Amino acid sequence: MNTALVIARNTISEALRKKILNAFLMVGFAMLVLTFAFQQFAPRQELTLVKGMGLGIISMAAILITVILSINLIPTEIERRTIYTILSKPVRRTEFLLGKYFGAVGTLAINIGMMGIAFVIAIALKQRGAEGVDSPLVMFKGILMIYMQMVLLSATAIFFSTFLSPLVNFFLTISLFIVGNLSSFTIDLAKASTNVLAKGFFTTVHYLVPNFANFNYTNPLVQVNVQVKSEIQLLSQNCVYAIVYATVLMILSILVFDRREV
Amino acid sequence: MLLRKILATVKGNPKLVALLVGLFIVQGVLQARIDPLRRDPAVEPQSIKKLMPGQEASVDSAKPTYLPFEYSLAAISGFRQVIAGLLWVRADSFFHSGNYDAILPLLRLITWLDPNWLDVYSTGAWHLMYNFTDTDQRSDRRYLPVGIALLDEGIAANSTVFDLYKEKGWNYYDKIRDYEKAVKAYEQARDNDPEHDINVVEHLLAHSLDRLGDPDRTIKAWEDAMARHKVRWDEAKGKAGKEEVESRNRQGYQSSKNNRRIVAVRKYCRTRDIARLGPVDANLQVSVTRIRPGVLQIAGSWNLEGCIKDQFDDVNFDVDGNPKTPNATGGILMHGPVDGARMMVRLQDAGYVMPEPKEFTFEVPDDLTIMQEDLNIRGGRRCDKGSLFAISPNPTADINAERAQIYNIKADIAPALKGIPVDQALASGQLSPHGQLQLVTYAYPPQMAKKKFYTAQDVSTLLAELKADKDRIELIKSKKIMVATVPYSAPGEFGTHREIDMSKDPKMYSFKKPEYDVIVAFYPRRAPDFVQDRIGWNGEGLTDKRYLREDILPGCRMLYVKLKLTRDDIMSPGKKVLFDDKTGVGLDKLQK
Repeated sequence: MNTALVIARNTISEALRKKILNAFLMVGFAMLVLTFAFQQFAPRQELTLVKGMGLGIISMAAILITVILSINLIPTEIERRTIYTILSKPVRRTEFLLGKYFGAVGTLAINIGMMGIAFVIAIALKQRGAEGVDSPLVMFKGILMIYMQMVLLSATAIFFSTFLSPLVNFFLTISLFIVGNLSSFTIDLAKASTNVLAKGFFTTVHYLVPNFANFNYTNPLVQVNVQVKSEIQLLSQNCVYAIVYATVLMILSILVFDRREV
Repeated sequence: MLLRKILATVKGNPKLVALLVGLFIVQGVLQARIDPLRRDPAVEPQSIKKLMPGQEASVDSAKPTYLPFEYSLAAISGFRQVIAGLLWVRADSFFHSGNYDAILPLLRLITWLDPNWLDVYSTGAWHLMYNFTDTDQRSDRRYLPVGIALLDEGIAANSTVFDLYKEKGWNYYDKIRDYEKAVKAYEQARDNDPEHDINVVEHLLAHSLDRLGDPDRTIKAWEDAMARHKVRWDEAKGKAGKEEVESRNRQGYQSSKNNRRIVAVRKYCRTRDIARLGPVDANLQVSVTRIRPGVLQIAGSWNLEGCIKDQFDDVNFDVDGNPKTPNATGGILMHGPVDGARMMVRLQDAGYVMPEPKEFTFEVPDDLTIMQEDLNIRGGRRCDKGSLFAISPNPTADINAERAQIYNIKADIAPALKGIPVDQALASGQLSPHGQLQLVTYAYPPQMAKKKFYTAQDVSTLLAELKADKDRIELIKSKKIMVATVPYSAPGEFGTHREIDMSKDPKMYSFKKPEYDVIVAFYPRRAPDFVQDRIGWNGEGLTDKRYLREDILPGCRMLYVKLKLTRDDIMSPGKKVLFDDKTGVGLDKLQK
């Protein structure tokens, strides 16, 4: 496990050196600044816009960072042939794969965490002196959900990267992310369908595909008038779900990667 | 080949595969537990089902349907709020550029994407109900049911918060002026959200009940508001960070108490004064003239009476509005023709009744014509023999004259109104008791805070004082205050100088139907307080030999004239008097 952590640390260092990550980070910050361009609205509307936009921008930046980072982690090592050096040492393939994954989620934690802190500071400044509004710290619930979503997305991309080229992986991961965000529709379609085959298909899709929609938690944070009945239960189960499903994907990755010729 | 590979993998890693299968089942179980939690509308906003015809949005009807699938692309990836936000910014830019029509489809999309965004519903409804106007700034009333439907949709999605009920109440109160429905909406706001803002919900509920002409329920509503303010005030008292809550509720309590007192005093005074003075004969006269195609002049005259009274005089009523003595002297002291009330004129497709709002759509019927305008009533004058008048071109030139109910008469009318200077009237004793009260009120304006009107005893004392005060008499003479030697009376007029031009907005006034109703109506419930003081909340003190109706609004005596005009009447060329009850023209157009 120590070996995996060493690889993870190196992966984080390397990822943070990549300019593309910084670029996305800058985009994220720049768009956060843009959210202050709604001064013409009434304070409550402005706050709604800033919160909704801010969380959306962080989410968008996080998706791009996650996908581009994760799809390249394994293929780059193979392409550069550095994997031979690593695997010739007493490093098991499982440790290498887990190290890469932990490196990716560590990098995401830093990136999303930084964007999240900047966002919360921005909200705190925005609603300074306002009465009857939630503490800006509640925004961290949304940031946490975005992060857990990316933990799952990263595992998906890494799984595909064990047997697909980065280009194919990019489109497949994004497609799966979109399908995974339609889970409300798949379950509704399954319920509404009278055809057994269709019902079975949509049910399978609903439970088979990672449900990225589980982590969309913007509405309760943005709209002051809505309150979630079982918030802790929902958030904690979402976190557990992300970890369990990511573990499933990493086991699959290990199984595939173990048999792969490199 | 693939199957063989998979089998080999399973055989080679049985524990790992078993763990994989186990975890996969766990994730399925977790997903099954998460699904119902995500169905909380707060987490996953849902579009609202269409209401059935006649069904009103309520907590019961707030069963959602989901976002139509064709819009699901917009909903993916958790970017609903971002897209809704961007659309709202766009809608705002359309608003500022005056492109109002473009806002409506955006409203539809935004409320689908984010049904919990209250501001979009409230701003959208305001936009629909107030901002679509013709060239002369008359509202396009075809949008009223649509605006209410949008609010109903918002209420169905947000039924436990008061905001949109309150918006609905306000639109019924201010725009549609259906006070019964306003009351219902404010009651829903109060009952469905225990955290409602008392100042905007319960205060307006009381005002709506007042407009509904129900003083008993109004007083009860103010008492309820007082009680609720008191609870919140006490809860916040002395607590750090709750200063504003305390202050707001303390002020709310005091204003509720004061308003309750006003209604109590009015209830006492209006009932007694109307019985004492008898009903006002409005003697309403109406004429409708086509000026040119699509341009009408709807004019008339009537005897609108209002008053100045000392109802808030602390001498006569205690802090709760109860009379201090069995026969308190407060009440109407001076009354007469007043400006300030409005006559509603409305032209609409024959038989049109505003439909119950069903579903928000940004399409309005393009063959429907509705025009509504409120015409100011001005120019009513009365001067009894021995009372005072002033010769002045400006009707509100002198606040003291206004307070003493001394009418300003234009110089061109003045010759018809014969009068003598004040000193001459004083010397010859030609001042009537009313004239004496007017004169001392004008000469020595009473202190507003302490005493608003003089008693008979005050009048005789002050009159004696004035006779000896030559300078003051000269001052009064210099203001052209005269004493009438013959009675003079002129009714208030409306619409005399106003052309209602519907020709410039053919989209709004399409005139596609063959027949139209023209309604001229005075609703006592909508009248200002100083008019209601004389005629009552529900027109109890109002009469008219031709146009008094009690069947239009249950429990309300109002003036109501309904004419039937044809398209040709309105759209033919040339000027023509279509109806004039004074000369007997077009009486066949009058409908029962």
